[in-house]
Amino acid sequence: MLLPQPMKHVRLLVLVEDLPQASLSLAETGSFHPDPRTPDEPRVSGQPGSDYRELYQEARARLEKIAKLVPVPDTPSIDEVRVVYHEELKAIGQQLRNRWAQVQRFEEELRRVDEQERLIREQEAALANFADLNIDLGALRTKTRFLDFYVGMVPRENVRKLQGSVTLAGHLLFEYLQRDDQTHVIIVGPPGEQESRLGTVLSSAGFQALPIPEGIERGSAAEKIDELTQRRAALAEERKALNDQLADWEREHRTVLLEARRTLLLAEPFVVLDPSIRSVGHLAVLAGWVPAKALPSLERRLAESLALPFDMEVREPLPEERRLVPTVPTRSRLLKPFDVLVKQYGIPEYGEIDPTPLFALTFLLMFGMMFGDVGHGAVIVLAAWYWRAKLKDFAWFGIAAGISSICFGLLFGSVFGYEDIPWLPAIWMAPLHDPILMLKVALVWGIAFIVLACLLGIYNRIVTGNLRGAILGPHGAVNLLFYLGFLAGGYGLATSGSFGWGPGLVVIGSLGVLAGYQWRHLTGPTGERALIVFIETLDTVIVYLSNTLSFLRVSAFSLNHAALAIAIFTLADMLGTFGTVLTLILGNLFILVLEGGIVMIQVMRLEYYEGFSRYFSGEGHAFAPIRLRGSSDSSQRIV
Amino acid sequence: MSAAAGDAYLNTRVSVMASRLLDTDTVGKLSRLTLPELAERLTLPALLDDTLGSNAKSRAVEQALVSLLLIELAILIRPMSATGRALILKWGRKLALFNLTALLRSKLHNLDQTETLENLFELPPALRLPIPRQELFRAESAQELLRILEQTQYGLIARQAREVYEQRRDPFALEAAIDQRYYSEMTHTLMQFDSVSLQPLRRVLGALLDQVNLIWMLRFRFSYHLNPSETFFYLVPSFRLLHRERLLELVNIDNLEQLIAALPPPLDAELAGSRSLIEVQQRVAKLTAQEMHRVLAYSSSGVARALAYLILREREVRLLFSLVQGRLLELPDDLLDMGLELAEPHCPTTMPAAA
Repeated sequence: MLLPQPMKHVRLLVLVEDLPQASLSLAETGSFHPDPRTPDEPRVSGQPGSDYRELYQEARARLEKIAKLVPVPDTPSIDEVRVVYHEELKAIGQQLRNRWAQVQRFEEELRRVDEQERLIREQEAALANFADLNIDLGALRTKTRFLDFYVGMVPRENVRKLQGSVTLAGHLLFEYLQRDDQTHVIIVGPPGEQESRLGTVLSSAGFQALPIPEGIERGSAAEKIDELTQRRAALAEERKALNDQLADWEREHRTVLLEARRTLLLAEPFVVLDPSIRSVGHLAVLAGWVPAKALPSLERRLAESLALPFDMEVREPLPEERRLVPTVPTRSRLLKPFDVLVKQYGIPEYGEIDPTPLFALTFLLMFGMMFGDVGHGAVIVLAAWYWRAKLKDFAWFGIAAGISSICFGLLFGSVFGYEDIPWLPAIWMAPLHDPILMLKVALVWGIAFIVLACLLGIYNRIVTGNLRGAILGPHGAVNLLFYLGFLAGGYGLATSGSFGWGPGLVVIGSLGVLAGYQWRHLTGPTGERALIVFIETLDTVIVYLSNTLSFLRVSAFSLNHAALAIAIFTLADMLGTFGTVLTLILGNLFILVLEGGIVMIQVMRLEYYEGFSRYFSGEGHAFAPIRLRGSSDSSQRIV
Repeated sequence: MSAAAGDAYLNTRVSVMASRLLDTDTVGKLSRLTLPELAERLTLPALLDDTLGSNAKSRAVEQALVSLLLIELAILIRPMSATGRALILKWGRKLALFNLTALLRSKLHNLDQTETLENLFELPPALRLPIPRQELFRAESAQELLRILEQTQYGLIARQAREVYEQRRDPFALEAAIDQRYYSEMTHTLMQFDSVSLQPLRRVLGALLDQVNLIWMLRFRFSYHLNPSETFFYLVPSFRLLHRERLLELVNIDNLEQLIAALPPPLDAELAGSRSLIEVQQRVAKLTAQEMHRVLAYSSSGVARALAYLILREREVRLLFSLVQGRLLELPDDLLDMGLELAEPHCPTTMPAAA
């Protein structure tokens, strides 16, 4: 569980004709993480999949556009896994192009209806405005002998420029209504040559004519508004009809669209692999990383599916490739929520110990100790269970934290802050009974945590080939030696009043080695080097001291938890019966939410800063094999 | 960093960068260098790459020069306030609009996608079109492309361009709408500044708009033969010389010489005797450059000086690109000098035939 899954580098040589099948087979196994590096051989530089990728992306884009208007499932199940060749993909693309043209027509029609509806609303507003004016609206409809009228609306930002432009054409512009981002205008001017100049300007300005309805006369605007309302109703009917037609279209073409989606899903693995594929002539090369356990099934699948000969070379990752090797994630469902929290820091580099199980254990222990209460723990468990549908995997996280809290609550004999309960005596002791002991326990816990973190860090560096770092680097062996000597000396100082020659020599010796190592690797003037070495050495002492003392918060919060409860009881005692009950309920809620949240953050801080920073680089990258989405084959799982 | 400290830092940065602007003598010396010498002097290794054709070299050089400009832009906007940064980024978005125009032309004229892609500028995230270019390429038409962009911060530009295109189906109107919207938005952004920066910024943007308006006016009236109304509509009134009322007078003039004579000082004197649009373009560009240098020298507003510097630097980048292009195409030195504004242009034909 702690050790990483060994990975192998796989190089496949296949014939170009077999690439689509090879990609599909690799996707079906779900165990091939592509290596996009260019092969060393310069001749192997062709990219055979680029046309295929273009066709795929074109077809996929069209399908996504169609899917915005009619429902097309994202990952329909694929019952028959088959290879999608170039010609089929091209044909699908063409089909989707035609269908998009059909669907787009509906889209444009719906937009046209929306636009007409908007125009009608604007006309209604304009007529309502005109109704208050004592003018003959009919006169605005048509050209007269001496004057032309243009009634319409223009985007507000264009009005001023349009005014200037129409003035140049011998016309006048009047604004009479502002609605949203549109301005209603009337443009008046002489007919004739100038009028023809106006047309292009009006269209450039986005002018939309608002036709005055036929038969309108003085005082009849109100009737015409009713007519417009009827037209709006007709447009609503038209919209409904269009939506019905769209639905009919969708029903008629559903099978084709679904099949197109399936085809694209089957083509997807080749497209995903494409950046990693190179070719020379008819030979294609693709490389990737595969978990060692999955190699036999991968080779078997390729042998079964590829019609033409192929070759598979397997080797161990080279030391210089360590950073490129992906790390297979934790598969345990129980550890999944903790995995999410670990990933907030980073992903383990290949070869490093998986910190997730250790993180889970130490997190729960520290949380329990800092928030130890049977009642509070039970509430957390029940809440996590109740909201398990929403919390999903994090429900287990809540349940585990709650159980830990219950366990420590039993140790402390605390139920909703009440201690010394006759029917529930403390298995160990209540925190406030002996705060000094609590602090000592936290201190010992912190020392053990830091030592373990250092040991893990040393191991991780050894397996990643960084021997020098394992010994002389930060939190390496020499650092650990210093820390142990420092602790021994500190213990001696606390018990017998003397640091001790042995611990003293160990401390000075290890600090000297570290300082010497740093000195050799620094460049610059002597004084500057000396200053840096001095400060870094001092920092080593301070960091380890402060990191150790940092763990005192583990007991501090358990004491705090008890103290908060006391404060609530004190407040409750000052009130009447109803007030007492209310205070107890609200007070415990306050503890649960506020203190619970703070404790979680504090534990995360200890884990990340005192723990991960010592042994977890977080610079790895996750194993992301190519997969066949929608496949009903349940064997498509990595080991 | 306090506002005063930020401005002091910005001013210092601009001064340091401005000291490296090329003067006419240096441009003249550069124009006499061979291609390998230019490659070394300007640190353009693509010019020496024999595996690239001349088109590819040209594109690589243009991208390299633009990238330098963008790096300097990124450095200058760091200490600016949000308003200043918004203005400078708006200015920088002209490159994104260049990409947009290239994509639209590709859709309108069914141009080769690969070649179009190769000619697009690589831009940093803050200046890029907000939709991945592949997604824009997948649009089946110019209209669809503009509809996609309407959902982004280019919404106003895209909407106006689409409406114009739907009404006119005219690529020219589409591109003119985009350009016009770009400058209109710059002027709107200017209004958010306080009085300390507003005056010098109005000078900078005003000079830029004067140049743009004059060139557009001449081009639309005398090359494309648009009527005065339509011409006026596409212009963006400036804060300085070519303000709204003046533009209304000028667009009605049917003759180049009369129009130049009717320009306000100093434009009338500086442009008197211009025989072609290219000559007008060069002369007014020089005037604008002089104005930018004045702002650089005398203004205390960091943002205004930064914008002035970037405008000058962009001009310099274009000149350098012209030089490299000229050398790649093996043009004679006298043509190169014209392109680099070291000599007066003499077109084989006169206005209005010249575009």
